[in-house]
Amino acid sequence: MEFYTQALSNVLTFWPLIAMIGSTLLGVFIGALPGLNPVMAIALLLPLTYSMDPLVALGMVAGIYNGSMYGGAIPAILLRIPGTPASIATTFDGFPMADKGEASKALKIACWSSAVGGIVSAIALMTMGPLLARVTLFFGPAEYFWIAIFGMASVGVMVGSDPIKGIMAAVIGLLIGTMGIDSLSGQARFTFGQTWLLGGLDLIVVLVGLYALPPVLQLAEKCDLKGLSAAQLKLTNTPFNKGEIRGLIPTWIRSSGIGIGVGILPGAGGNIAAFLSYNAAKNASDDPDSFGKGNPQGVAAAECGNNADNAASMIPALALGIPGNVVAALVLSALTIHGLQPGPQLFHQNPTLVGGFMMEMLITSLLILLLGGAVATRVFAQFQRLPGVLLVPSILTLMCVGVYVINGRPVDLWVMLLAGVAGYFLEKVNVPLAPIILGMILGPMAEQSVRRALLISRGDATELLTRPISATLAVATVLVVAWPLIKAVRRKRAIATKSD
Amino acid sequence: MERRQDIALGLIFVGLGIAAAWMATSYSGAGGTYPMVLGVILTLLGGTVALRAVRKGANKARLLVDAPVKMITAVVIAAIYVTLVVPLGFYTSSFLLMLALPIALGFRQGIYALIVALVFMTVVYLVFSVLLEKPLPSEALAPLFGLGV
Amino acid sequence: MKIKTTLISLTAAAAMATPAFAEYPERAIELTIPAGAGGGTDTSARKLAILLEEALGQSIAVLNVGGGGGSVGASQFMQAKPDGYSLFATWNSPLTTVPQLQNVAYTLDSFTPIASTSETAYTLCVDADFPAETGEEFLAELAANPDKYTYGNDGIGGTMQLAAERIFQAREISAIAIPFGGAGETLQNFLGGHVDIYGGSISTVLPYVETGKAKCLLVTSAADVPALEQASGLAAVGMPENETLLWRAILGPQGMDPEIVEMLGAIIETAVNDPSYVKFLATKGEVPNVVLGANLGARLQAEFDALAAVSASLGLGQ
Repeated sequence: MEFYTQALSNVLTFWPLIAMIGSTLLGVFIGALPGLNPVMAIALLLPLTYSMDPLVALGMVAGIYNGSMYGGAIPAILLRIPGTPASIATTFDGFPMADKGEASKALKIACWSSAVGGIVSAIALMTMGPLLARVTLFFGPAEYFWIAIFGMASVGVMVGSDPIKGIMAAVIGLLIGTMGIDSLSGQARFTFGQTWLLGGLDLIVVLVGLYALPPVLQLAEKCDLKGLSAAQLKLTNTPFNKGEIRGLIPTWIRSSGIGIGVGILPGAGGNIAAFLSYNAAKNASDDPDSFGKGNPQGVAAAECGNNADNAASMIPALALGIPGNVVAALVLSALTIHGLQPGPQLFHQNPTLVGGFMMEMLITSLLILLLGGAVATRVFAQFQRLPGVLLVPSILTLMCVGVYVINGRPVDLWVMLLAGVAGYFLEKVNVPLAPIILGMILGPMAEQSVRRALLISRGDATELLTRPISATLAVATVLVVAWPLIKAVRRKRAIATKSD
Repeated sequence: MERRQDIALGLIFVGLGIAAAWMATSYSGAGGTYPMVLGVILTLLGGTVALRAVRKGANKARLLVDAPVKMITAVVIAAIYVTLVVPLGFYTSSFLLMLALPIALGFRQGIYALIVALVFMTVVYLVFSVLLEKPLPSEALAPLFGLGV
Repeated sequence: MKIKTTLISLTAAAAMATPAFAEYPERAIELTIPAGAGGGTDTSARKLAILLEEALGQSIAVLNVGGGGGSVGASQFMQAKPDGYSLFATWNSPLTTVPQLQNVAYTLDSFTPIASTSETAYTLCVDADFPAETGEEFLAELAANPDKYTYGNDGIGGTMQLAAERIFQAREISAIAIPFGGAGETLQNFLGGHVDIYGGSISTVLPYVETGKAKCLLVTSAADVPALEQASGLAAVGMPENETLLWRAILGPQGMDPEIVEMLGAIIETAVNDPSYVKFLATKGEVPNVVLGANLGARLQAEFDALAAVSASLGLGQ
């Protein structure tokens, strides 16, 4: 305990505090602009950390990371454009809420849920880091395979009214995921002789096109020449009703747990934490049909889940020296440059720095609560006062610059445009877009892990099921798929007995 | 409408699935089996969608595009913009887009559009070129103003 | 393609005709890295870029182009203008290893070698209770049990795998290669007991050597590595000719002005040997190693030829 009070007093000094406040604000902006991602900003900060006070530098990393995870929710709610892949699930209920005139409430729930997820995750990092790190090691290729399959089972909640089209979208996503060099055989797949395709299609490029272009085109079709007045914005501060927060608590607990669970697995990716949390919230609900139509629980689950992944993803990085994502890798190299050696000894080597960083993850999560709401309503929502026809080219420009700076190649702009036009028509004919992105994220993970597992077991497929964790995950997957069906049957029976 | 759309959609996906499966046959070993299976599944799903539409197909009205002229204008201008980004430079072409698109969509307050374009481009410049130091397509007009390249 | 090459050579010719390079550099330089942010190549290049910015008096903008084991970034970079404002910071694999497996658009001649910067060896490590205590015993145990052991590596046909296979081939060893996404992932699976042997960079596994969890018995350099006391260099097990290293270099596009190449080479050499950079390299288990211009070209060619022979006999080639 003394360890953390010491760390706290180091962090609560002038420069680290300024760094955290400034970078949390910056992070919210970065997350809110489609195409801009925290990795760009943190990579740029990294060289600075060599000369800067490490607690200031790490405070900035923490702020950008936590802030951007929340920031993604703002355009997701206001415009149905997810700012980051992790905020796709936020659009499911966030935008319908905004459509009903509850934008301000949706933003508030997103803000609180992000903060709660971040805080719980930071506390897990501080109290159970080394313990959870040991859990990480039980997950080999066979277990990763089942995690991916488990994630794909959550497609079930996003297929909407037409399951066949939903599954079709997922298969398209899986196929896009196979593009590029196959890392297990060196075989180039679906590259059409193009060198730039050897690395596959970039997830962010496809995401920006698929998700941002259709709303932009619809905005152009509406051809709004005036913009909203302050009164039409309906952004008056809507306080939580009595009992409203209490109603969200079970969702927060569940989503934080899921976010942390996915976060400690290197490479599994925070992108799926939000999907899994959303799925769990829907399965637990008494009224699953209200999801996707503006249920606040959906927003809470998605936003809490994606922020709970953040601090947890630092656990394998700090305790084992295994970075699970790019941000964690950047933090690790910032620590090594200050003479620390990531790994089992790290917690003892320099408690001030490591403890300080964990504390900063906690404080920046709290800062979301203080700053997040104001940024969303005072700054971003005000953009809607511009006439829609001016908003259209502004968003287009942002999409282009965001996509261009990822790889610095013009052809990505065409990929984005094509994906966008395809997305526009697919939505019109009831093909959901979220399964495409989920397929792109989970497909490579599932394929590579199952092939690795088979290499290790010398081709014996039964090993995929005989290991305790894989078997548990397999059963869980079956349950996740079957649960909505069981519930539906039960409800029908209940209705039948009532009418008798 | 809905019926015809679903038949077309199903057939497109059948085509994509067959093409993917056929391409995957030339890939060696396990690296080819997986995409081939995916291609076959996609073909089957596409076929199901098309068949289902042929067999019953509640033929409700479902508009593909609400305002075709506006939508096509936006897409075409976006495509021209993407084409011009490299030869003209990022800031020049984006600035032109911010003026041309609103006007093409029927916006008549040129000054308003100009002000928004100027403010917006300044912000983008500060964020991407000054703060993030990201290389963007260079401006073709820059030498005219003696700005270096 | 043909038009492009003509264009490139035209601009190159035009560039050489004008003596404007007296003022080089007069604007920002773009540095392409063929790997994502946060990896070993990225961090060492970004750190070096800061020192180069000071020396050149111009800012350096970093562009990460990952994918295809580095071939995507290399192919994109080879189309840059050879005016000294586009540089390429890479590790050896995209140039010498990847072309053995993939059908890439570039050759070694597509680049102007400027300077190499640092190098390190790969290591092979096993669990503490593995029945071997020296490099020689380790190889003997593997040779006696064909296909019994699995070893994790940095990806199929990656430099790490070729480094290991060169050694295994010489001793007629057959072990099962499990390709992972990088040293971190390999370490995770090694610590969890999912693979028997760790194969990858030294700095990643070093903390576990100190705690006694991992036992590193072999390194892929000819010489021993001081940080790994128990490990034998390849000279110690009698095959120094099979050395394979991981090293990093800065290159330009084909047809750069020799004067600029020379000037950049000198500046890079000073920057690499700057005490702060040497200290930085040490945290990653790397040592400075500067080979300039034509000598670097010869080094690339020699390594390319040696790896071509290995991958051909492994049946990995195209």
